[in-house]
Amino acid sequence: MSGRARVKARGIARSPSATEVGRTQASPLPRSVDLSNNEASSSNGFLGTSRISTNDIYGISSGDAGSTFMERGVKNKQDFMDLSICTREKLAHVRNCKTGSSGIPVKLVTNLFNLDFPQDWQLYQYHVTYIPDLASRRLRIALLYSHSELSNKAKAFDGAILFLSQKLEEKVTELSSETQRGETIKMTITLKRELPSSSPVCIQVFNIIFRKILKKLSMYQIGRNFYNPSEPMEIPQHKLSLWPGFAISVSYFERKLLFSADVSYKVLRNETVLEFMTALCQRTGLSCFTQMCEKQLIGLIVLTRYNNRTYSIDDIDWSVKPTHTFQKRDGTEITYVDYYKQQYDITVSDLNQPMLVSLLKRKRNDNSEARLAHLIPELCFLTGLTGQATSDFQLMKAVAEKTRLSPSGRQQRLARLVDDIQRNTNARFELETWGLHFGSQISLTGRIVPSEKILMQDHICQPVSAADWSKDIRTCKILNAQSLNTWLILCSDRTEHVAESFLNCLRRVAGSMGFNVDYPKIIKVQENPAAFVRAIQQYVDPDIQLVMCILPSNQKTYYDSIKKYLSSDCPVPSQCVLARTLNKQGMMMSIATKIAMQMTCKLGGELWAVEIPLKSLMVVGIDVCKDALSKDVMVVGCVASVNPGITRWFSRCILQRTMTDVADCLKVFMTGALNKWYKYNHDLPARIIVYRAGVGDGQLKTLIEYEVPQLLSSVAESSSNTSLRLSVIVVRKKCMPRFFTEMNCTVQNPPLGTVVDSEATRNEWYDFYLISQVACRGTVSPTYYNVIYDDNGLKPDHMQRLTFKLCHLYYNWPGIVSVPAPCQYAHKLTFLVAQSIHKEPSLELANHLFYL
Amino acid sequence: MPNRKASRNAYYFFVQEKIPELRRRGLPVARVADAIPYCSADWAKPVFTPLRRPGMLVPKQNVSPPDMSTLSLKGDQALLGGIFYFLNIFSHGELPPHCEQRFLPCEIGCVKYSLQEGIMADFHSFINPGKIPRGFRFHCQAASDSSHKIPISNFERGHNQATVLQNLYRFIHPNPGNWPPIYCKSDDRTRVNWCLKHMAKASEIRQDLQLLTVEDLVVGIYQQKFLKEPSKTWIRSLLDVAMWDYSSNTRCKWHEENDILFCALAVCKKIAYCISNSLATLFGIQLTEAHVPLQDYEASNSVTPKMVVLDAGRYQKLRVGSSGFSHFNSSNQEQRSNTPIGDYPSRAKISGQNSSVRGRGITRLLESISNSSSNIHKFANCDTSLSPYMSQKDGYKSFSSLS
Repeated sequence: MSGRARVKARGIARSPSATEVGRTQASPLPRSVDLSNNEASSSNGFLGTSRISTNDIYGISSGDAGSTFMERGVKNKQDFMDLSICTREKLAHVRNCKTGSSGIPVKLVTNLFNLDFPQDWQLYQYHVTYIPDLASRRLRIALLYSHSELSNKAKAFDGAILFLSQKLEEKVTELSSETQRGETIKMTITLKRELPSSSPVCIQVFNIIFRKILKKLSMYQIGRNFYNPSEPMEIPQHKLSLWPGFAISVSYFERKLLFSADVSYKVLRNETVLEFMTALCQRTGLSCFTQMCEKQLIGLIVLTRYNNRTYSIDDIDWSVKPTHTFQKRDGTEITYVDYYKQQYDITVSDLNQPMLVSLLKRKRNDNSEARLAHLIPELCFLTGLTGQATSDFQLMKAVAEKTRLSPSGRQQRLARLVDDIQRNTNARFELETWGLHFGSQISLTGRIVPSEKILMQDHICQPVSAADWSKDIRTCKILNAQSLNTWLILCSDRTEHVAESFLNCLRRVAGSMGFNVDYPKIIKVQENPAAFVRAIQQYVDPDIQLVMCILPSNQKTYYDSIKKYLSSDCPVPSQCVLARTLNKQGMMMSIATKIAMQMTCKLGGELWAVEIPLKSLMVVGIDVCKDALSKDVMVVGCVASVNPGITRWFSRCILQRTMTDVADCLKVFMTGALNKWYKYNHDLPARIIVYRAGVGDGQLKTLIEYEVPQLLSSVAESSSNTSLRLSVIVVRKKCMPRFFTEMNCTVQNPPLGTVVDSEATRNEWYDFYLISQVACRGTVSPTYYNVIYDDNGLKPDHMQRLTFKLCHLYYNWPGIVSVPAPCQYAHKLTFLVAQSIHKEPSLELANHLFYL
Repeated sequence: MPNRKASRNAYYFFVQEKIPELRRRGLPVARVADAIPYCSADWAKPVFTPLRRPGMLVPKQNVSPPDMSTLSLKGDQALLGGIFYFLNIFSHGELPPHCEQRFLPCEIGCVKYSLQEGIMADFHSFINPGKIPRGFRFHCQAASDSSHKIPISNFERGHNQATVLQNLYRFIHPNPGNWPPIYCKSDDRTRVNWCLKHMAKASEIRQDLQLLTVEDLVVGIYQQKFLKEPSKTWIRSLLDVAMWDYSSNTRCKWHEENDILFCALAVCKKIAYCISNSLATLFGIQLTEAHVPLQDYEASNSVTPKMVVLDAGRYQKLRVGSSGFSHFNSSNQEQRSNTPIGDYPSRAKISGQNSSVRGRGITRLLESISNSSSNIHKFANCDTSLSPYMSQKDGYKSFSSLS
């Protein structure tokens, strides 16, 4: 990662919501090809969808509503897996009540809506068999739906399983129909199960019902969200259009079934691939056109508006033309031109264009050959933003202006969606036949926990705003800083004078912080990564405390090679700064202050603290992420506090070769961390609280069955005679609910420290939401905490306040962050290793926050 | 009715083999079924019956440490002179398992190495990967971009696979006789093996190379010398270092010119450097340029004009009461004097031969010294002060001798 990207990352840590508009899957700003690629794969990744996408080519339409069920079934199962896990009943102290009571109550509006249905509502699951057996799902559906017994009932059918809201008269119903070819098909419908409304299967069916409803509101599903192509928002100066849309879900919250919706946008470019190619051809000339074209287009995601599906361009076939024929599934040959005419009534105008090739995702457990889809450039629209576009400040600003919705804007959009659902007769009819009624928006009471004081060396400071206390602590000395005596600055000829003025500024601000910085040895090197690395190899000796590199450009290799060498081969803390950052004259003081703080931490210093009432408490943060180079390597970062004040940390990163996001190595880490604690405190901690981030949908069970036992066994081994109590909390930055406060007839973001532990939580879990970040623009997103294991028996009040306190301790930002500091440290560590180092950093650095 | 014969699995025969022994022990075993309870424990542990001689049943993937005696390396001397070949082949990514073509070989590197001599010869070539399977262009492109960055098409340096393989064979086996074993890192083994087979298919030359892993080689050498086995983690950390990444004469010309770290030749050479650096020294071998890229480190002792140490602290002390400071005048001071640098001490104007003196550039110092012939001997003195691990105090001393 370049220095600039690091600065960016710091910014994001501060308020993710400011940059993040919708939900992740629906991120309207695919930053890079990779991200948009995910999006395409998510839309192609499921059983039904991939079949349909080929149908577009092979000429079978699949538009009937019944097909929606299986379409998303595979993915849904993962989401619903978590629901069957009940952790709260095992935790005696919260079995009766998991809500806290301290703090000032605050009235909050949510993006959740009541969904009412009769008390005795039930879902009936039937199994349908066909004699003779039919392979085509479409035919199966058509035959079944044509029967009068079923035609006016609310139903969902995937070709084998049929859900009805009303029971059929007989347990086994036999029907027969005739196909167009004159065959008689016998259908047997057998009742399998009666499901109460709380069953996970029901929730799955509810989600399917709402997908149908959104389709009836003429919205299209792209990925997992629904967008409305008929009301695009145009950004003509950048040839972009945004489709507004929603991410929706139905699930069981604390007491009842609720519908939740969040606003999301899809960014599209108003340019077809053919237009792009023509423009490119004019720019580059014919000679290297194909090469340039492949370079620029391959890997991009396109959307075909005739069916609103996304594909990734995997190849370009220059030998195939639209006038060529292909074989449809029934064996007949047809030209592409005729196919599009027949199927979609689209006339292809350019008959000489090459064809785009997209590799379709294969079915699970299917070892057949990869299937390719040919797409016509004229009909494909580019989606997402290229790297070039994302670095265009004006463009991103224009997009952000449209997508960054204020709480009141968001509230209006939600109100309109609800209105549409209730007014549209088709949608209302669908709801009514299922016996459902769309209710009112949920409002609930949250609590604002008291703000925290920041403890400095000889001063206790009550910040004006917990979002940023850099001004409040300007005159205070930091808790503890090692003095920096022998160190190096590496810079190039061009950046030498910047380095000098920066050094001067750094010494001044460091002095007032209580951090003594001596003159370094300044080494001038040539402007290439090799020169930097060689100079480091040459000049770094065991006495050197820190190496600072002033990088001439944000080329990734500079940062990567320096960090790689200095974090594993030759473990010395390092600080990379972009020369461009130092050129900002007006900001020199604040830049120098930030860098001085980072350097203090890298040398093992402590910046500030908050009051922690629990004595002898160790907090641990765990995060995982995939290595950027080899996708089968998981990087697990673990960070544990090693003093009772929670200001010093032991950080370790472990690489493991697995495909899952589950950590294998927690025992090794925990044992190491407990040893460290023992070394510093001559005793073991009495309590351990582990914050685990990076948990995806459907992983809760694995976590409880696999990771928690690892932690428990290491704890048990280290403390044979003393009792050591452990809690494990899952931290999620992405969650569906949003909260607004109502004030002066308008809605606003709730204040910092707002805790929600009722209604929007789940009954079977010990969970809560905490707002520990500020969104200057846009809507703040709460962080979701789920306590999956708890020996400590802290009162919910205390658990919530402790979590809030820990959000203040991230030393890379003088303000509160969205997750507890150990999680943010672990995230930072895994990011560095996954992006730059690709191997385990040396343990000699484990006592410093060398990765800040 | 289940197929009865299916029950005759390996365990059945194992038990059957055990029956005589059990009878000898006086146990009442008439049939295999009777013997099963007595054999389960033995089944769990590996048994060295004459049939299970080590090396005979060892699966291919899990290559055992090469038996040094088979390499006819008796004693240190033989080990030191023993020649190893390190080979690596890069591919444009790895295609999914259902594809017939799993890899697209694009670069090959190989070095001939012995502990005594270091790198004796190297071989490098780009390979024409052939036609990219339709639909996988993006996949291959992305894989290439994230590592070696070799273009997937229109790359005129790529040689025909048959030619490359022939050249490789000529390199590792110039004279008739036994083919030497070839080593690569265990992580790369599948790929290299696949690529060798694939290229052999294309060229219709049949020669099954014995591909072993470097990790096992290190274990072998270590065992031979110290009669104990090193840990895998130690070996991995030994082989996986970043310090030679930018060493000169390590990457192939193309990768060096384009400043890309991932190079097949560099991987092989770095294996050689790592082994030299950690093992050859244990044998008491004097490292030469063939063992590790020493030239980088020798070159660094003589100061190149582009790379100069500026020691501000030293200068601070020197400045006070130093009358000979005017040597430090620079020609480019005008452009620098207008940069605002706050209260930096060196900004202070110092009177001397040149009134607007500024800066602590040793470049300028050196220039001025080298310009004045009378200072030549002092330059040499200064030079030593610039050596990397000189303490600040010493540096100060040698500096003061200048004035």
